[in-house]
Amino acid sequence: MMRRVAPCLACIGLLLVWQLASLALNNDSFPTALEAIRAIPAVLGDKDSLVNFGASLRRMTIGFSVALAVSIPLGLLMGRSRAVASFFNPLLMVIYPVPKAALMPIIMLWLGVGDLSKTLVIFLGVSLPVIYHSFEGAKAVEEKMLWSGAAMGLSAIQRLVRIVLPAALPEILTGCRTGLVLALITMITSEMIARQSGAGNILFNALDMGQYDTVFAMIIIVGAMGIGLDALFERLRARLVRWAEPQFDIPLSFS
Amino acid sequence: MQPAAVHKPATAMIQIDHVSQMFQTSARQDHLALSDISLSVANGAFVSILGPSGCGKSTLLYIVGGFVQPTKGIARMKGEAIRGPGPDRGPVFQEFALFPWKTVLGNVMYGPRQQGVKHAEAEAQSRALLEMVGLKGFENFYPKELSGGMKQRVALARTLAYHPEVLLMDEPFGALDAHTRTRLQNDLLNIWERDRKTVLFVTHSVEEAVFLSDKVVMMTPSPGRIRQIVDIDLPRPRRRAELLLDPRYQKYVVEIERMFDDSGELQP
Repeated sequence: MMRRVAPCLACIGLLLVWQLASLALNNDSFPTALEAIRAIPAVLGDKDSLVNFGASLRRMTIGFSVALAVSIPLGLLMGRSRAVASFFNPLLMVIYPVPKAALMPIIMLWLGVGDLSKTLVIFLGVSLPVIYHSFEGAKAVEEKMLWSGAAMGLSAIQRLVRIVLPAALPEILTGCRTGLVLALITMITSEMIARQSGAGNILFNALDMGQYDTVFAMIIIVGAMGIGLDALFERLRARLVRWAEPQFDIPLSFS
Repeated sequence: MQPAAVHKPATAMIQIDHVSQMFQTSARQDHLALSDISLSVANGAFVSILGPSGCGKSTLLYIVGGFVQPTKGIARMKGEAIRGPGPDRGPVFQEFALFPWKTVLGNVMYGPRQQGVKHAEAEAQSRALLEMVGLKGFENFYPKELSGGMKQRVALARTLAYHPEVLLMDEPFGALDAHTRTRLQNDLLNIWERDRKTVLFVTHSVEEAVFLSDKVVMMTPSPGRIRQIVDIDLPRPRRRAELLLDPRYQKYVVEIERMFDDSGELQP
């Protein structure tokens, strides 16, 4: 019982602190929690902002999906082949510490401010954790499991697809979960830099115009989207890897 | 001591000729794991490779399995050089190595399905095999839900399912408690006595080797060499309760232990 109620209590507590802090500071640019919540229906009821949300989600879905399609095979190959790993490792090490949004201005110069640039940034943001976890997962696959498959007559490629992939799946999905949150973050930041459409666009336009209740309403909406997507993903993950040992259980989730 | 077998008649199922295996240690030093092993295993024989840990006995099994290429020498299966793994040689590992995302039934069906056996037929065969290894009723369990002994039964059924001509058993009962271990030894003998597949069985237990085998290949510690091959001339079918009281069995065990002792080498 307590486990179910605890997350709700935490949310209510956070809003309460916000309300009190806002009242105490009495600053125009810091609306109270109630004011922010009251602004949510206006944002969600507006046709323009729904179009913006749709555009954001579309880019996020494409960026996330393409990143998985590229990163999982690459990570698995790196985990099973030393040559592939030593080729890609330095490249990834260079990209790793760079904030992906910091690449946005350069990418915009090449590809413009449209969907392609933003989707590419999301792709980059999602790729690294997925590659890393796929790599770790593939590396940890028991050699004897692959030998058992080889004795049954599985070729090297069949072993990669039919043994390494499922055996590494719990670890891969851990990477995908991190990737999903990063997709949301890079989505918003890319729209902050290349303002044209999207949820980030609404947020920062409202900021420019001093509509602080809208700004905070957007923060709540984006936060709720993050929690919702994560919970959804966690459901899917639990279903896919119910066979796995419990060390892969991730209790930190709202699912 | 038997002379090193060079070319035995065509009845030999497995023929190992002057095989040596070199490893590079993490300190980049060459380590000789196996030195000049020659061994011939007859069709239908149960042969144990017995030696202390680190004598390369598992490596020898992996070479026959085709999982490891020998540095020198050659291993043959029915006269053909072994170049890689194949369904004619079925491994059973100490670590079980089951596919955790597959159910018990799914694990056992995996090999036959890979060999192109129709789903319904593979399922029927696999269910029969699971009944034979005493796992009827556990078909839809996942490996994580099984005990070590049950996992090893699944692993044995999974390997038997694709009808290998040779079973390669790598300390299969080494990770199990004593009670489970003896039960599995008995069950393995019962199963083996039905169809008499060729078995190469790696172990460090003298009792286990004598109880199960027709021949015990004693190895020296590193580098692994064949010290002696002992023929176990005990009647079959063997029953544990009778055998433990049999002075011939006791004599084999004591003699083999004494040979390891006398050499001043590490005991198996």
